[in-house]
Amino acid sequence: MLAPFNLPKGILLLITDELAAPADFLLHRSLISHVKETNGPTKTIVLSVSEDLTKWKAVASKLNLNISHQITNGSLEFIDVMKHVQPDFRAPAPRETADLHSPPTLRPLFDLLQTALHKPDHGDAKLVILDDIATLEWIGFSLLDVSRFARALRCACLKAKATLIIRHHVVTPGDPDDLFRHLLQMCTYHLDVRPLGSGRSGAVSGEVALHLGPSTPVGGGVKLIPRSAALQYKLADNGPVFFQRGTGGGVL
Amino acid sequence: MSSFKRKVTNKAALPVPGTRTSPASSSVTTISTGIPSLDDVLGGGLPLSCCLLVTAPDLHSSYGELIQKYFLAEGLACRHRLCVVDGQPKDFVRDIMWIPGQMKQQVEKTESDEEEDSSDRKVKIAWRYEQMKPFQTTVSSTPSTTDSYGHPFELSIRAPASLIDDAFCSGQLSSLTIEPSKLDVTNLIRQLEDKLQSDASTPLRICIPSLGSPFWGDVTKRELLFFLHSLKSLLRKYPHGCASVGLSPHLSADNWGGAGWLQKLGWISDAALSLSAFSGDVSMSATFPKHHGLVQIQSLPCPATLVAASDRFSVLRGLVSSSSGGSGENNLAFKCTRKRLMIETLHLDLEGGVAERRTTALVSEVFNAKSSAAMATGASVRIELEQPEQQEIAKVKKAKKKSVAFDVYDF
Repeated sequence: MLAPFNLPKGILLLITDELAAPADFLLHRSLISHVKETNGPTKTIVLSVSEDLTKWKAVASKLNLNISHQITNGSLEFIDVMKHVQPDFRAPAPRETADLHSPPTLRPLFDLLQTALHKPDHGDAKLVILDDIATLEWIGFSLLDVSRFARALRCACLKAKATLIIRHHVVTPGDPDDLFRHLLQMCTYHLDVRPLGSGRSGAVSGEVALHLGPSTPVGGGVKLIPRSAALQYKLADNGPVFFQRGTGGGVL
Repeated sequence: MSSFKRKVTNKAALPVPGTRTSPASSSVTTISTGIPSLDDVLGGGLPLSCCLLVTAPDLHSSYGELIQKYFLAEGLACRHRLCVVDGQPKDFVRDIMWIPGQMKQQVEKTESDEEEDSSDRKVKIAWRYEQMKPFQTTVSSTPSTTDSYGHPFELSIRAPASLIDDAFCSGQLSSLTIEPSKLDVTNLIRQLEDKLQSDASTPLRICIPSLGSPFWGDVTKRELLFFLHSLKSLLRKYPHGCASVGLSPHLSADNWGGAGWLQKLGWISDAALSLSAFSGDVSMSATFPKHHGLVQIQSLPCPATLVAASDRFSVLRGLVSSSSGGSGENNLAFKCTRKRLMIETLHLDLEGGVAERRTTALVSEVFNAKSSAAMATGASVRIELEQPEQQEIAKVKKAKKKSVAFDVYDF
């Protein structure tokens, strides 16, 4: 999965990015490679918070994939999160402590996902993408609800042997927020997409590092990439070009 | 003559006035913001179905509102539908700039351009550089004659009241008045949806000049982010609409909504720019005397592609200027002349950023000051003897001059 990183299936992959180097390309790429490269029937579920289906279609069509066909035959399900759940943004202070009496606000969304995961007509190659978990917290869902939802997602995906990809935005680099700590604790691998420290450039769009999750045993044939030797990339409309630091060759 | 003929499709619909196809993707239509240099920074204009957020943290100026006025004026000139959401929307609309008459339209150059031209003429340029194009810091503001995209507005001219009244009567221009006691964000979104539903043939420009201003009551950061997120989703649902939102200055500070506030705003909206004026910062205005503030880009619209159109096509940002594509991004600043607001690339002046370099006062100045101080002291003594009434005035003068003399010696 995800060509230069060659990650195994059935994992929880946390992708973090910053505003100057968005990781949308990794989400689109994982969906496209999952559909194109898997032999046999597949099932992909996209839980979309910040982007609509039009963009997913437009980007996929640039990479020669017509996802309308996948949607029609049911192998791709696109769930617009905000249609099913509404945050309580008027609450003066969000609930941070466990309150057993109030129902979790993201429950309807989870039920929807469970139904989609357990539809019998598709194969074992399952992929779930949550495109933006940070926005859920920003617009009014409490940290407790969001972290519970992430935990429930992980369990559901483990049971169904599905790969789960969650994208989180880092707004304070160097000072990790609480949601990021929760997610990091759960994840198997962490892809860290960052902009260059020297600002935006026409030749290098950003760099990617790959870390192991804290609870994952070392080994497994995945080559980790530390930040000091992060893989750089240049983004084009038909996907990224990866290269080692300082060895852009034709790119630099 | 070849028997082959180019296949011509007759089905192509006529483009709506004031819109263009984005250079990055044929499926994206853009509209002008009314400021050619801002259009360039956005990659050819603001794409329909996108939301532009402008933050201007400076409390003493209103450059953010000026951008909203340009956005409205351009919509009015292109005959797009407009919807203004504000506490006093009608007053805001009556204050927008307009296009000069035919006579003035021919004279295109700004004051600063003229100054630069005259100074250029004085300088003798080496023959090998004489043919070169002069160095430009902004994009051309001449409007194209083929389509009505980007009109030459002048800040000194106000839109005629009759035009605005007609626009209100015909329904081209509508407004939603914010009342703090009744503010309900979900209700506001519903009202905007009604506007978007009513007519899909003409683009609808939603303009919110000052989101979070006192008219909006006490908005929380969650409410604000929820509103912006809902607005973005709404525009995606109705792709003939677009929005330009100005955030109230006190909410535009980086730490208003906690750490990383501007970053959050950048993620929530499609395009986010920050215009930080120098009016509160003496050292910056002294360093960059020709500009009025810095322009910082948080995010840029890319509704159908992975790479923002601006990265590939913006001249001002300059990411594509080098042939190998290895150039860094230009620093940007804005300038507001008597006639227009423009975004420029930011450079230091020839003498390292200070227009006039002064390290020590000139000797002649010190001597002049000394002699004048001495004269003043002498005069005051004479008056003291003659007129007791003028004594007080003389004392004041004496005190003032003394302080000058003191300054001189101290200096």
